[in-house]
Amino acid sequence: MTSPVTASAPHPPHYTSVPDWTREPVVQPADPLGRVHTVIEVVGEDPAATAPVVAGWVAGLDGRDVRHRACPDTAAAVAALEADLVTAKVGHRVLVAGSADACLAVRAAGVRGGLADDEMAFGVVSVETRTVWCVHCSAATVAKLALDDVVACSGCERGLLVYPHVSRRTGRHLGFMVDAEEA
Amino acid sequence: MSRLSLVVAGIDDTVPDVRRLVLAPADGGELPSYTPGSHLVLDVPSGPGRERALANAYSLVGESLHPSSYEIAVLRCDPRGGAAGGSAWVHALRTGDPVTATTPRSSFAPVQPATRHLLVAAGIGITPLVSHLRFHARWGREAELLYLHREGRGAFITEIDDLTDGSASCFHDRVSLLARLRERLLDQPIGTHLYTCGPTGFMDLVVAEAQAAGWPSSRVHLEHFGLDDLDPGEPFDVTVGEQCFEIASGVSLLEAMEKQGYAVPNLCRQGVCGECRLELGPATTGVWHRDLYLSDDDKAAGDCAMACVSRALPAADGRAHLEVLL
Repeated sequence: MTSPVTASAPHPPHYTSVPDWTREPVVQPADPLGRVHTVIEVVGEDPAATAPVVAGWVAGLDGRDVRHRACPDTAAAVAALEADLVTAKVGHRVLVAGSADACLAVRAAGVRGGLADDEMAFGVVSVETRTVWCVHCSAATVAKLALDDVVACSGCERGLLVYPHVSRRTGRHLGFMVDAEEA
Repeated sequence: MSRLSLVVAGIDDTVPDVRRLVLAPADGGELPSYTPGSHLVLDVPSGPGRERALANAYSLVGESLHPSSYEIAVLRCDPRGGAAGGSAWVHALRTGDPVTATTPRSSFAPVQPATRHLLVAAGIGITPLVSHLRFHARWGREAELLYLHREGRGAFITEIDDLTDGSASCFHDRVSLLARLRERLLDQPIGTHLYTCGPTGFMDLVVAEAQAAGWPSSRVHLEHFGLDDLDPGEPFDVTVGEQCFEIASGVSLLEAMEKQGYAVPNLCRQGVCGECRLELGPATTGVWHRDLYLSDDDKAAGDCAMACVSRALPAADGRAHLEVLL
């Protein structure tokens, strides 16, 4: 499915829309100024990875209103966040622990729900998997991918370049046909 | 910078010490539309009580779409109390007098994706928020206003009533406004943005209350009156390339450079917008920044300054100097 990054591929600059925490696992600190904190734990395949991240945040927020939502997968995490945001007031913070792919999807739900960037923090435990959205057929392909890799689209089988751009609204990477000019 | 030629088309002095001024294009026709919360920078000529010309920013309070005139409201500030004289000049204008101004400039716009808007004004700081209220009323946006003014001195009371269907809350003392603000800050749905305009000390209180209620800085927006509160400062000297000149107390680096013929890009002229940032060379003795734009790291580096508000700090030998790199 994947090809190695070519030696000439430049490292994406820091001003792209791809957050640093999708390149290497980073655990951002909780914001102690928040009044209410929703902690979304996307347990996924490796509960042992997210548990210490959540424990660290909860310990740091001792005495505050913390709502821990343990979710088996990204869809459940998005649903849990959307439910919390219905009644959320300004002063609310959202913390998300999970893979970078899950964090991007939950962040997108937060953006759609009106959260600002300084109201969300992420604890990333793995960065191998990315979701790529095909500009040609709109299918989403999920695979272990690095930026600038090429992957076969799960919808139209075109070879998609994983472009260093992530949609804030969907959390997916932009993918387009790698050799469109030559083909 | 393009200038508009306007004439005073209407004056309303109904509210004590607040003059509402209608400015129409000198040659008739329509004026440029503007973003709610925008301001005009009026050219205030030198004259009695004003040694030098001033450029004063005033918020636009009227209709922002396809306006046939601009409207501003100016509080009377007495030069004997330290005011620079722009307000006194406005209060002496008569119908038909010519006025030149910049086209409207925006630095305090309503946030488009916001789901709700909480507005907090004190005194003449109501002006940009009247413009916001017109916008919210037109587009059916949820907005709430808390307005502090002295009894009998409230400006725009009738318009505010119309624009908010009477839901605005007026206060005559800071303590009651802050008590109400504290409650309201805890009860705003996520997606709400906060806007405040008033004297610096008042806005500091509003920001502190918002922080205490857990508001992140991205949701809090301020419109500063700017330079009025600034110390005139000590004289210092400046080099620009080969040229060296002195900046007198009370004159900004921006004004001095413009007088020398340098075109320094600028917008707000009050240390907010960042347009007039200048790079400084190693001969600089020190910078008294005073702006609200540069980050703490930028300020600590000492290699840049905002021409509109920053001044030189003296070195140990008492010499105060800025080396401007253009």
